[in-house]
Amino acid sequence: MLAITGFGRRRLRWKAVLIAGLLVAASCGSGDDDSAADGDGGAANGEAQDIELEFWTFVDAHTDFMQARADEFNEQSDEYNIILNASSADFEDMHDRLLVALQSGSGAPDIVDIEIQRFATFLRGDVPLHPLTDIIDNHRSELVEERTAPYRADGVEYGIDYHLGAWVMYYNSEILDAAGVDVDSIVTWDDYIAAGQQVVENTDAWMASIETTDRFSVLGPMLQNGGGTYDENNELILDSPENIEALQLISDMVHEHEIATASAGGQHHSEPYYQALNEGQYASVWMPLWYVTRFKDFMPETEGKILIRPMPEFSPDGFISTMGGGTGTAITTQIEEDKLEAAKAFLEFAKLTYDAQVSLYTDLGFDPFRNDVYDDEALTAPDPWFGNEPVMTNVQAMFDRLAPEFTGPRYPEAVLQLRDVVAYQVVEEGADPAEALRQAAEEIRSLD
Amino acid sequence: MATDTTHADARSGTSPRGRKPKRPFLHRPAVVAMVFLLPFLVLYVVFRVYAVGYAVVLSFQEIQGIGSSEWTGLDNYQRVLTDRTGFTALRNTMLYTIGTLLVLIPVPFVLAAILRSRWVARQSMFRSILFLPVLTSLVVVGVVFSLLLSTNGLLNGFLGLFGVPAQAWLETRHLAIPAMIIMATWRWTGINIIYFTTGLSNIPNELYESAAVDGAGPIRQFWHLSVPLSKPIILFVTVLTIFGGFQLFVEPLVLWGSGGGPGQGGLSAVVHLYRTAFTSFDLGYASAIGVVLAAIIMVFSLIMLKAFGFFAKDR
Repeated sequence: MLAITGFGRRRLRWKAVLIAGLLVAASCGSGDDDSAADGDGGAANGEAQDIELEFWTFVDAHTDFMQARADEFNEQSDEYNIILNASSADFEDMHDRLLVALQSGSGAPDIVDIEIQRFATFLRGDVPLHPLTDIIDNHRSELVEERTAPYRADGVEYGIDYHLGAWVMYYNSEILDAAGVDVDSIVTWDDYIAAGQQVVENTDAWMASIETTDRFSVLGPMLQNGGGTYDENNELILDSPENIEALQLISDMVHEHEIATASAGGQHHSEPYYQALNEGQYASVWMPLWYVTRFKDFMPETEGKILIRPMPEFSPDGFISTMGGGTGTAITTQIEEDKLEAAKAFLEFAKLTYDAQVSLYTDLGFDPFRNDVYDDEALTAPDPWFGNEPVMTNVQAMFDRLAPEFTGPRYPEAVLQLRDVVAYQVVEEGADPAEALRQAAEEIRSLD
Repeated sequence: MATDTTHADARSGTSPRGRKPKRPFLHRPAVVAMVFLLPFLVLYVVFRVYAVGYAVVLSFQEIQGIGSSEWTGLDNYQRVLTDRTGFTALRNTMLYTIGTLLVLIPVPFVLAAILRSRWVARQSMFRSILFLPVLTSLVVVGVVFSLLLSTNGLLNGFLGLFGVPAQAWLETRHLAIPAMIIMATWRWTGINIIYFTTGLSNIPNELYESAAVDGAGPIRQFWHLSVPLSKPIILFVTVLTIFGGFQLFVEPLVLWGSGGGPGQGGLSAVVHLYRTAFTSFDLGYASAIGVVLAAIIMVFSLIMLKAFGFFAKDR
């Protein structure tokens, strides 16, 4: 028998620690090897390869949507079996964590939803997202091309949206009827103002509400008039004549014609506003088409009363709609190389195929951005909530008069200027629209 | 005597025969202290010292987007001087700080004095109730106050009883700061009462009894005993309130999201810093804002300490 000396005991202890460490390392390593082996073996045997993808979003409904698409993808794919680990977090929290993870080089998900207002932030410097142009090219002829613009930098697309977000006018037919206004007689903004004067004279309602702490009320008409924040050449156009004209129109509606007022709660996504619209305090509101879900979720009294029409036109044959809001789904560069092709195949399936685009409407209530699905029976059915009219068919009729939205490098800051400063100054303080926009543009330009 | 010697030897770390006892390395006092302090020190150095130091370094760089940085010297600090939005944010923050100082010092102090008085029964119960807002989730607070402060909310209903017309608290530029002060008052009054109660309880009762014998009523006792003898705790709470005021972040965030409120009326310096860092991803400039803000807080705190005579005994 060997006698274990003090020195020997110490050596034994170190060896024990070393062996324990190696065992832990080996077990960790073997885990990876096993999973890899499973995948490889599966593929070699003609079975679909398991691909685990982490997906972050800030919208709960998007996790369900993507999970449902993953299930469908797995049923149809011989090559990949997508295991989607979807998680949803608060808007700010998710975007901030994503930014930190991408900056620090680890911890980012494979697939992620980035809201349009924050997307440009990720397109500065070394873009930490994989180009998606090739999978978009596979469907480009069917897509409403304008919807890919917000997620494009230097001609390369990095995100795919969930909806078109066509801007429309929601009219409360009950109020218009009481005021003696025929909704289909409203073609131009002048017609709209005249109708508004009738509404204000004959009812207790305002014709329109204008957001003072959000951007939609001012940005919509700006874009529709051919303006917006950036043009296709990435030039800031916040103080363009088109924007000034659109903002002047809004200002006139509030201060000169007195048919519009600041929205309750300051924005169209607030409890006080839902309550006011539900009670019939406003005869109309212009918002993107995804706002239909807000009527159904928060304004039960509006059922059957709301009619959806194009935006009144600024000029004959001018734009009658544009696009608003949006969330681009992207693939981060932190995805493992061997998962990239599977992730792109899945994203193409989940967002761009015919069935996926139909599901955008049936599952989420959004307007798809693929032309051919608008003839699908799921989209042509009349909607009882909205005057029993075929809402999506009417939206498709606007496609040839749809203004694009371009998002340049300072889009997040431009949006903040519109929502924090310009809208409030013009609506609440009666500021000159041209001056308010000039100052906002100057503020943005001073950042570079 | 023998016992004393033994204790003395033990304290001096020598054996009775003059030899130092052999102690295992891990049992040495310095090592033990270091081992116990190490977790804190590591966390402090990594998450505080390094973070603050790195922020100072970043403040001399221009970082636009991921993976791009460039040394720009004092450019970011020059930009601070011409940042219109930054000045708006700083003005809002200072107004908020002054507002909270005007409310969150006198009101909790008076309430603490009343709670300590013999007229109030079940003092600990009242203190607990007043402390509850501090424990409430901020998300809940945000939702509740959005409803309370809405145009047809409870606050306007209450003010209406006195003939005050309804105010759009969350939608009017000049009411944004008062709205946040109302929210802060609800949240922080309780904790300040605890501080002041602790301070007041250190004042000997004999002083009040003597004052009463000399004919001083409750108000005179309050002014001439409670207030002057609570100076250290008032100073402490004042400095804390200044810190809290300049770090204003959560309140505007829960009331107006990432926006700055109506016409930037609710935009605080830290929200501006946050938006610069995460919405614009301009980490260099955001760091410069942070450094300047830290300097401003330090100056204000020193002024307060000086005003309260904190440095008097050093002279």
